Amino acid sequence: MTAAAPIAARGLCKSFGAAPVLRGVDLTVAAGSAALIIGRNGAGKSTLLRILAGLWSPDDGAALLFGEPSAALAPAGRRRVGLVTHQSFLYPNLTARENLEFFCALYGVAGASKQIARWLERVGLATAADDRVRGFSRGMEQRLTLARALIHRPAALLMDEPLAALDAEGVAMAAALIDEALAGGCAIVLTAHQPLAIAKLEFALYEIVRGRLVVRPAEGGAEPRGAIDPRQPAA
Amino acid sequence: MAGFAAVLRKDLRLEMRGGESLVALVALSLLVLVVMVFALDPAGGVRDAATAAGALWVALIFAGVIGSSRVLLAERDNGCLRALILSPLDRGALYWAKLTAAFIFMAIAEAAAIVLMVLFFNLDFDWRLMRMAPVIALGALGFAALSTLLAAITGRVRAGDMLLPLLAVPLFVPALIAGAKASGAALGGAPFAAIAQWLKILVAFDVLFVNAGWLLFEYVIGEE
Repeated sequence: MTAAAPIAARGLCKSFGAAPVLRGVDLTVAAGSAALIIGRNGAGKSTLLRILAGLWSPDDGAALLFGEPSAALAPAGRRRVGLVTHQSFLYPNLTARENLEFFCALYGVAGASKQIARWLERVGLATAADDRVRGFSRGMEQRLTLARALIHRPAALLMDEPLAALDAEGVAMAAALIDEALAGGCAIVLTAHQPLAIAKLEFALYEIVRGRLVVRPAEGGAEPRGAIDPRQPAA
Repeated sequence: MAGFAAVLRKDLRLEMRGGESLVALVALSLLVLVVMVFALDPAGGVRDAATAAGALWVALIFAGVIGSSRVLLAERDNGCLRALILSPLDRGALYWAKLTAAFIFMAIAEAAAIVLMVLFFNLDFDWRLMRMAPVIALGALGFAALSTLLAAITGRVRAGDMLLPLLAVPLFVPALIAGAKASGAALGGAPFAAIAQWLKILVAFDVLFVNAGWLLFEYVIGEE
């Protein structure tokens, strides 16, 4: 029996009032692969990610994580999902270390102290580990958000504009983390406003056009792909 | 259990660090008691136990609305509530953690309010205060349970902060009457049987709303 794809959408439809945002979106992301979804502001990228994460219900169709409806995912399934959204999910009055300690406790991360030290180092926040998040810049908060989303080694990762607010070094760091997650078998969906000239990493590239998910072949290539270029951070 | 402990520890740590809820709770209790003292007996002198108990419960309700709602409202900063919903944390554990935190904050505020009540109403620090302890504890638990559930509901709508007291106070009236009567009886030195009849109402109220919160919390806190 074949294992279900970590991330899948089947005929997703969503409207806000009379305005349809998603019309029959189909998507399958296998383990160890990634989909980059682009689109203009208001195209429905964040809506799609929220539905895939289980925060919103679709009007029609199904959002599946590991073959289960994402909104009804059991705790064991939720333990395998990581999410980066426009909101950091961080507590401003806790330090970087305390925030990660809290999420490690929620996700049952073994050897939390070592993992936290390692991840703070990875995202370049080792020297700010005991500073409160309230005093962080937007970029520092985004780095900690990446650590928060990845520290429990998710098998499915949903990232809404994960490179926003990161400097060139931060984009390179994020690209390395995404590459590492892919190598570890993680399925990833991420969004951006435009095709990121993303070097090194390869993605199936899609665009949301008038509510439909359209495959975008890379320039000069048959395979849909995209790339992250540290010199061109997301808008 | 680990999730419950993690959320509770985090809430207490945030409160110890920020202190907004406790300061507001104690300050509001002080304000209400001062107003009640001057409104009920502007000439000063000895106040009776029933009046003191009534003033105490008014202070507790005002303070409770702020304290218990803060426990959930704080989770809306940076979308933290979403993180909790999407985490493997059992939503029942989340409810118990929030209820426990609200109860602890209210209990601390009530301890301060009782001291203020004794001072303002010329009462004595004696065994009658100990007899009032279970009454106050049951009242705090009931109000914490009611307002935790209602805060989860009203937090989903605009101006939910305004809506919370409008819903919580009327629903709390049965417990308020029972609590004020039981506290007055305890402070007045009445026999335990006179207190017990009101305690039964408080126990029933607590059982109802603690369980209602536990059963409904998963649904009211779920999808946005």
